[in-house]
Amino acid sequence: MKNRILSLAFLLAAACTVRAQDMQQKIDMAINGLGDATINVSMTLAAQQWQMWNQNFGNDPAALKRDMERSMPAYFLEDFKLEKNDMERSFTVSLKAFGICKVDKKGRWTLETDQKNAQITELGDGKYMMVQSPKELGGTVQQTTMITFPSEASDIKLEKDAFGKTIFKFGMDAPASAGSLLLWIGLGLLLAGVVWLVLVLLR
Amino acid sequence: MKKWFLPALVVLVGVVLTCIALFKGGDGDLAVEIKKAPFIMPAVHNVYADPEALDGKYYLFKAKLTNTSSTTLEDVTIKYRIPGFIEWTELGVIGQMFPGQSGVVACYPKFNEDITQKTTQSMEKVEIAIDWDGASDDDTVEEEFGFKMMSRNEFAYSNIAASEISGYSDLFDNNDLIACFVTPGDPVVKYYTQVVQEKVMKGEAASVSGKPEDAARFLMSLYEATRMAHMVYSGTKGIPTSADDVSSLVQTLRLPREVITGNTGLCIELSCFYASVMSAAGIDPVIYLIPGHAYPGFRMQGQYYAIEATMINGEGLGGIGTAQQAFQKGQEELQEFIKQAQAGNPAYTIVDIHELNQKGVRSMALADDTFLKQKIDQIAQNFGTLQGGGEQLLALSKGNGGGGNDGGGGNDGGGGGGGGNDGGGSVSGQRTSGPLSFAVPRGWSVRNRPFPQLPVYTLVAESPDGMANAAVYDLRAGSVEEAMGQLQQLFAQYGSELQYQVNGNHVEGATYSNMGTWMWSGTVGRGPQGIRLVAVGASDMAVQQYSGQLGSILSSIR
Repeated sequence: MKNRILSLAFLLAAACTVRAQDMQQKIDMAINGLGDATINVSMTLAAQQWQMWNQNFGNDPAALKRDMERSMPAYFLEDFKLEKNDMERSFTVSLKAFGICKVDKKGRWTLETDQKNAQITELGDGKYMMVQSPKELGGTVQQTTMITFPSEASDIKLEKDAFGKTIFKFGMDAPASAGSLLLWIGLGLLLAGVVWLVLVLLR
Repeated sequence: MKKWFLPALVVLVGVVLTCIALFKGGDGDLAVEIKKAPFIMPAVHNVYADPEALDGKYYLFKAKLTNTSSTTLEDVTIKYRIPGFIEWTELGVIGQMFPGQSGVVACYPKFNEDITQKTTQSMEKVEIAIDWDGASDDDTVEEEFGFKMMSRNEFAYSNIAASEISGYSDLFDNNDLIACFVTPGDPVVKYYTQVVQEKVMKGEAASVSGKPEDAARFLMSLYEATRMAHMVYSGTKGIPTSADDVSSLVQTLRLPREVITGNTGLCIELSCFYASVMSAAGIDPVIYLIPGHAYPGFRMQGQYYAIEATMINGEGLGGIGTAQQAFQKGQEELQEFIKQAQAGNPAYTIVDIHELNQKGVRSMALADDTFLKQKIDQIAQNFGTLQGGGEQLLALSKGNGGGGNDGGGGNDGGGGGGGGNDGGGSVSGQRTSGPLSFAVPRGWSVRNRPFPQLPVYTLVAESPDGMANAAVYDLRAGSVEEAMGQLQQLFAQYGSELQYQVNGNHVEGATYSNMGTWMWSGTVGRGPQGIRLVAVGASDMAVQQYSGQLGSILSSIR
């Protein structure tokens, strides 16, 4: 399965591919402690591009959702939202993608980039920036992807998979669950109650 | 009693909460959401098996697993089977699943190659089993669903749910999969190709020479082979079929080997047959799909060619065309095709077989068949018996015109068939039409409206490497200055800077963009819209290399 999450904005740009040397896309991908991702794709378009994009998607968000789902058939995508700013000719599409990061038997997490020698810069605090110009659009669209790992992530490293493609490897502890919280509250109450009871009985 | 009641109550609540936390959900629980394919086409088995093919579009099912328990599940293993086709197969292992975590798996089943022997439709079942370390029998998740398994000859044109259909292209969303019915690797097709190359073409080298005229000769020879074999046009079953919420036209397609040995085919079947033989011979085949029809052709040196394969018709139908007529008709249809495609008509699509092969759309696997090869030997006895047509082909191969071919030093694929095509990119060695027409160098491709967003850009003749071209601009303007001013503004909109100098009806200029500098010379004059500019130029890196051809074009403008 090809990981197209990091290049998901192809489609958004494909709808407005007039010769667009100065087109730029900003993709924010925030990964949560469960390996799911919230993705925001934003673009500002030239006048003609804006008209074309509106014809294809802007006036029909359902078509945008449908085409994005079809372009990433192996994923489960939810919570689509489209925000347009007609005055600035810009839009932001947000969605949630489940199970983007995978965890192996040793508990190591992986995020695939689907690119060989991806141009990735570490910005600190679990943030990374990846810049690419997808060949599918003739290299005329520059995509800047900001990847934010959750605070629970540790030991984030860039490695290569068996096919030479760049991947993120990282560790992540299990998030605190309602079950464990309940256990600690129960034990706390039990302990406090016993101490209280002993004190009451000794008086 | 009141003194110890409250602390005892706190202890009791603590015990209850601790017990709940320890025992509730401790066994693990998974929620499973499955999305499945409505049907499986055996002919497409190689696409289903490849997660990379068409970006993973054709899966059997995908599942989202969510750990709804309060414990972390270790080594969550997903297995599936299709009784009678695929035994229990591990789909993947998710090392750890924390409470609330989701994992996604997609199933790309690898069917045995004998699935292409399936000649009837059936309902089949997928069984899925999910378990994890320490899971009891009660915990293990078991799911199953049914799907329709087509016969090897059946092709469903769409997998999209009826409620999601929004246009023509959705109704034919599976068109790319037609490439699976193009079977150059089929031993029977390979054998037929060799027989035709030997007995009909008496040798051919289109794939070696890379010349369109050689490939055009191949195409016409193949047509002659079908005509000599008395192949006829005939229909097959095509019925709307529903599976789940998907309603699609399902057509029964005879495979190329069945077209060869059955000696009959429908337009799409003949197209797949032509494409198979051309691919086996090393030519890049394409299939043109238009509403209600399909016809084959090939792509070479960036140009497209076509033949109307159904002109074989048959004695019962009448109107059997010669290879020349079939090629000419194909080229005419191609012109209309290009017009419609450039206008954005989604019903006009090209299935580029080798390009799709690169995207993972590979043909079905078919076993060798001695009986079918013997049948080909019988059919081949008719080869060479055609009177007139064979001579015509011989004339074609010698490049002496052959009744309608463009003379002047050899056959030209496009010129030979189309006789004046200017939309199909096949006017090599000919002139463009209208005012300020010019001679197109041999091997250059011609396209109308190459950049639809810029309607004033009406035609371009381009060198094979794209480093030089002759471009025609038609501007609604009353004067040369006004026209050039408009052009300058339009170029600026696309990030290019145009600099020029007008001297009478001659213009010298350069266009700067982030793709480099384009040096050009041109001629301006009255055109159909007002002012026409013919700009002949090349990248600054290739000006020297193309100076001779650019000069020839400029001197030919009239």
